[in-house]
Amino acid sequence: MNAVAIEAPTLGSGWSLWRRQIAGILRLEIKKNFLSKRALPMYLLAAIPVVIMMMLALFDRGMRRGVRTNFAEAMIVFSNLHEGLILRTVIFFGCAWIFMNLFRGEVVDKSLHYYFLSAVKREVLVVGKYLSGLIASCTLFLLTTAGALFFLYLPRGVQANLDYIFNGPGWAQITDYLGITILACVGYGALFMVIGLFFRNPIIPALFVYGWEWLNFLLPPMLKKISIIHYLHSLVPVPVNEGPLAIIGEPTPQWIAITGMLIVTAIVLFLASMRIRRMEIHYGGE
Amino acid sequence: MAVYQHTYQHYAGVTTPLWSRFLILPRYAFQGVFQSKLFTGLFAICFAPLLVMTILIYFKHNTTALAAFGLSVSDIGFNINGFFFRVFTNIQTGFGFLLTVIVGPVLISRDLSNNALPLYLCRPLTRTDYVIGKMSVIGFLLSLITWVPLLLLFFFEAYLEGASWWWENLFIARAVLVVSWAHIILLALLATALSAWLKWRIAASGALFAVFTIPTPISIMVNEMFSTNLGTLIHPSFVLNLLMDKLFRLESGMLPDWMVPPTWSLWASLIVLALICVGLLSLKVRAYEVVK
Amino acid sequence: MEAVINIPISQTAKESVTAEQMIVFEDVSKFYGEILGVNRVNLQIAPGITSLVGPNGSGKTTLMNLMTGLIQPTRGRVKVLDYSANDPEIFFRKVGYCSQFDSFPAGHTGYEFVYSYLRVHGYAKNDADRMTARAIERVGLTEAAKRKVAGYSKGMRQRIRLAQSIAHQPSVIVLDEPLNGLDPMARAEAIRLFRELADEGLHLIISSHILHEVNKMSDRVIFIKEGYIKAEGEVQGVRNELEEHPLQIVVRCDQPSFLATKLFAEPHIVEVHIHDDRKGLFVKTRNTDKFYDLLNRVVVTSDLNIETVATVDNDLNAVYHYLIGARQEGE
Repeated sequence: MNAVAIEAPTLGSGWSLWRRQIAGILRLEIKKNFLSKRALPMYLLAAIPVVIMMMLALFDRGMRRGVRTNFAEAMIVFSNLHEGLILRTVIFFGCAWIFMNLFRGEVVDKSLHYYFLSAVKREVLVVGKYLSGLIASCTLFLLTTAGALFFLYLPRGVQANLDYIFNGPGWAQITDYLGITILACVGYGALFMVIGLFFRNPIIPALFVYGWEWLNFLLPPMLKKISIIHYLHSLVPVPVNEGPLAIIGEPTPQWIAITGMLIVTAIVLFLASMRIRRMEIHYGGE
Repeated sequence: MAVYQHTYQHYAGVTTPLWSRFLILPRYAFQGVFQSKLFTGLFAICFAPLLVMTILIYFKHNTTALAAFGLSVSDIGFNINGFFFRVFTNIQTGFGFLLTVIVGPVLISRDLSNNALPLYLCRPLTRTDYVIGKMSVIGFLLSLITWVPLLLLFFFEAYLEGASWWWENLFIARAVLVVSWAHIILLALLATALSAWLKWRIAASGALFAVFTIPTPISIMVNEMFSTNLGTLIHPSFVLNLLMDKLFRLESGMLPDWMVPPTWSLWASLIVLALICVGLLSLKVRAYEVVK
Repeated sequence: MEAVINIPISQTAKESVTAEQMIVFEDVSKFYGEILGVNRVNLQIAPGITSLVGPNGSGKTTLMNLMTGLIQPTRGRVKVLDYSANDPEIFFRKVGYCSQFDSFPAGHTGYEFVYSYLRVHGYAKNDADRMTARAIERVGLTEAAKRKVAGYSKGMRQRIRLAQSIAHQPSVIVLDEPLNGLDPMARAEAIRLFRELADEGLHLIISSHILHEVNKMSDRVIFIKEGYIKAEGEVQGVRNELEEHPLQIVVRCDQPSFLATKLFAEPHIVEVHIHDDRKGLFVKTRNTDKFYDLLNRVVVTSDLNIETVATVDNDLNAVYHYLIGARQEGE
């Protein structure tokens, strides 16, 4: 061991520094989100809808739904799958896992203090961590949606699909579904990150949110608006039948749904920043 | 040191028999478990439905007591039969699930995160003993709220009704025993396997919930989309409930008939799930850790 | 509460150090619920090596965590070089902390571990590369740098954490038990590195149980017990202040009886025993300076021949025993 003084390079300040710091955080986190053992359940979860759609494309020969011959029926099947399985289950649980792990996972691994001992504002850390979760969840679940859509279109053949996408409503539907997937990651991601930060045992609030989101169709119109699935439901290109018990509310206009979700996400991130400023390192009880 | 000064002597007394050595694990686990007020409170609540059940059976056979409330036996709108026991078995196994969510996730994860496995396994305690010891924590607790009291109540009812009721309804006792043990073994295996793989207690609790919630839309969607009943088999909760209906000789009201697979396949799906858990445990419960 | 013994490093050192160069605890207390972490700590720590000494659970790590903002004080204020940990962007350019948590982000090599957190600081790729290589070289881990940290021995993990804490070239380095797990060679190397860093003008705050090594490397020592600071300053200074424990000195000479009569005349002398071989004596004094003055006078004015003079209990071990160990036994 030897000590020879060398001049430390200057770090600068402001946006250019924060950009570099966020890049540094992303470098660490994205690797963790994609390549660690923890990512395995996510891959399995994300693959389920794709596998189901693939099986449907390959084996639905003369079955009840007849999706190979009846594309309108296939769209309804996909719409149900997207809302019931991709949004309410895969993205919900996927985001819960990814975003609650951002900080709680570090506490469990006893490695959060390395971030807290870095010359980085804790607000920047929140943004960096959130972005890393968003990149991981969006990449994974966009692939899920895109994969499921691919197998939805596959049985119709190339020409029919090209016509549907470029001369029909196909392109708008694809972008709508992908956009809804991103919005779901943005909304659920922020919600679960803040739950992970505020609650030592985030399972109970997460289960409450799960129940609330699933029972959304039974809620009166005012309460419906206090949920993420309501806004996502308003955006779907092919409406999903919520069943005979559903209380039908006025759908929220698209621009309100999108900007509302983004504003709520910003507020939630602000709360997370406030929380993390006072956060202490206690690894003992985890 | 001279040999005569060596005063150390090996323990030469009686040791616990090898076959029962695993019981040391639940003994210490219970001490920790009952320190939690949440757990103790929930455990006490688990006996409330059994109390209700006892009162109902008692009133059903006690005209004097009913008369005190101005009622007669014909006013009571239920019979003590398979359905009656099925409802209460369902409630008790539901409580069993909640107890498992509290107790299960820490069973192995704490030992793993504190590097305690080598300490256990360097003693005359095999990996199987260790896992059985951990599973028996859930086994004992769930037995106390499921088949033990339910069978006692079955005998109580049989005593009040007479021998003919006993012979006609012996299937209820068998159903209670089989359903309870199916739940206990499955929950114990799932809890220990998740506990071995998920260091974070909260994540293990969440995963236990996820095992019973995530398959719901998947299995319904698979059944609906492919007009099959195979989707039902991936949902442990559906499987257990359908088995419960069959063992209690009841019609299944939970799923349409075409979604109900044959009984042998229900058992097979449970066995596959149990084997997966055993495989996961065998991979993780080791006296050493492979560093990658 | 007993009075804190406060001995500055030296008057000149104190005068030459400004508040902006000090680590300052102002009436700092930390409670974990009802459990006391540290209470009413007032400290001013100058550059050099300052060791925190005390039994397990005495509050050393709490003090270090407070210093680095990992925990917030319940009361009072901590400033390091006039910066607060509430502004981490500036604070942690100046401060590095090698904590006791023996845990790492999964899957990293030693090099990646140090490098990644330098990138989080905001250093550009080339700078981070250069600084990582330098820090790893300093702790003597260059050859193992490309191996996974998970496969490191305890001592190597300790060293890579040390490298991570010094990689960004801070002015204050806080080290919680940095010698734990190191073999004797590595310990000697680490102490040499600490000494060199201190000589460059850095603050090093070190907690350790290995008293003879603390004695060897420290400029000053802070004694802490049950959350209270018992004494601080140079070991010698602290020792001289322990009036209830007179300093014990052994003098080997040719006329012990003569010297004993001279010593008995002095009020600061508590006890004198002449050795059985009558070639020396054992003295207990409350004033070391006066004792040595007297001894000099006697030697000059008489034909007393002195072979050796040795203090028995003025090292860190003795001070620790008197301040922390003995009272612990007595309680």
